Amino acid sequence: MSFKNAFDSGKFVVTAEVGPPKGTDIKEMLHHAEMLKGKLDAVNVTDNQSAVMRICSMAICKLLLDMGLEPILQMTCRDRNRIGLQSDLLGASVLGIKNVLCMTGDHPNAGDHKEAKPVYDVESVQLLGIVNSLNNGKDMMGNEMKGSTDFFQGAVVTPEANPLEPQLMKFEKKVKAGAKFFQTQAIYDIEKFKEFMKFAKKFPVKILAGIVLLKSAGMANYMNKFVPGIRVPQDLIDEIKAAGKEGALDTGINIAARHIKQLKEEKICDGVHIMAIGAEDKVPAIMERAGLL
Amino acid sequence: MIITTKRDFQELMENIKNYKSFFLIGCSECAALCGTGGEPELKEMKEALEAEGKKVTGAFVAKTGCQVLGTKVELKPFKDALAGTECILIMSCGAGTQAAVELYEDKPVYPTNDTLFLGNMTRFQMFDERCSLCGKCILDKTGGICPITACPKGLLNGPCGGTNEGKCEVSPDIECAWVRIYNRMKRINKLEDMREIAKPKDWSAHKKPMKLNIREKKEEAKK
Ligand code: SF4
Ligand code: SF4
Repeated sequence: MSFKNAFDSGKFVVTAEVGPPKGTDIKEMLHHAEMLKGKLDAVNVTDNQSAVMRICSMAICKLLLDMGLEPILQMTCRDRNRIGLQSDLLGASVLGIKNVLCMTGDHPNAGDHKEAKPVYDVESVQLLGIVNSLNNGKDMMGNEMKGSTDFFQGAVVTPEANPLEPQLMKFEKKVKAGAKFFQTQAIYDIEKFKEFMKFAKKFPVKILAGIVLLKSAGMANYMNKFVPGIRVPQDLIDEIKAAGKEGALDTGINIAARHIKQLKEEKICDGVHIMAIGAEDKVPAIMERAGLL
Repeated sequence: MIITTKRDFQELMENIKNYKSFFLIGCSECAALCGTGGEPELKEMKEALEAEGKKVTGAFVAKTGCQVLGTKVELKPFKDALAGTECILIMSCGAGTQAAVELYEDKPVYPTNDTLFLGNMTRFQMFDERCSLCGKCILDKTGGICPITACPKGLLNGPCGGTNEGKCEVSPDIECAWVRIYNRMKRINKLEDMREIAKPKDWSAHKKPMKLNIREKKEEAKK
């Protein structure tokens, strides 16, 4: 079943993430992908995440496709201008890639090529518009194309951004520009997330709640301090601390599973996007404990 | 104004090591205000060069170093000093340097400054970049705050996911341009305008090298 059809079927949709490595050794990544096979509705392939240069998302999407996984091509506007983006979208389309996640992308300043010229010729909202026109057989300038794309396009949103209102306005723009699904920034406070969902439910889009696996109390504190729009409540940090060094990861898995279970049982959103960040092998355990496998 | 900073003196010396005599040209406008090309800086440069055993045949602060004809006229009295120098050092911006290149075709011309941006002077010798000269101004749509310049990504449709309590993901020293725009739009009762999707920017409005000939335009209008 395709990612799009999974939503249509009304099931609780689950996606996770594969990060292409730096260099050509893809053994470990393929191993992770193999573990996820058959368990997920789709898997995101990141696009030079955090502006660190790695294998391109499109090549890995194609490999996953060949392995029988359903990839979501993450596409940022940091490294390609509007010609490059459209050309890559057409390329992805003929390779059989069906899903694309349109993002603006972290600034080169965050990565390992700080001297790079940032592109941002267009940005997330405009990229969604571009996908829309390619789906309708025209490039963004309105030129007719021979054959159109058939993408299922999505975007990201940060439900706990501060200030929230401009973020929600941008969310609405993304919906208007054609986003069909959203994957959110990590959420840890389900009650707060419910408030966001009250707003998001007004729109004809599918929402996958972002679940980032907490690996230690230190990681939680770090994210609270440095990652915009992520707030790990103190009681979760205490819970991990209480488990000690040995038990921290296991407790993190429990927390993720517990949240997923609640989101599913209370039908709060349409599914989850699990980001295990370096612990991709733990995704099956999270899913199992959440009762998804 | 155009903001400049002095290049590292050792780097400059390396660049000009093959020359022995120099004529210095500053600029009384931007470079003087930036402390890179006014009278005191020319004097300082002269002394520094002489300390390195170089000869300075003359020095002059042009009124507006980027104005080609005006500078040419101003420099007439320095004909001999200029003829007698091996090299010309320009202590203004990249435009000033290239004005001198146009005027002195047979002489090597070197910049002593790096040219940074079009800046607002917020206080004495404190500068902020607020406009990147994009060729098609959108300030009317953004509450008068330029996201092309103030947002490191130049976003046109609102804050990215990196916006953090009013700060930018790129540096806590940068106020998120889109939070500033949002606050301003709210204040001037224009928040609804922020809902309009901005189309991709027309960068052909800034095709390099830019040129403007107002004379030609006027003549055309007459016809
Ligand atoms: S939009 Fe910004 S960069 Fe362009 S002209 Fe206006 S102020 Fe300058
Ligand atoms: S945080 Fe704000 S200013 Fe910084 S890149 Fe994002 S939108 Fe632009």
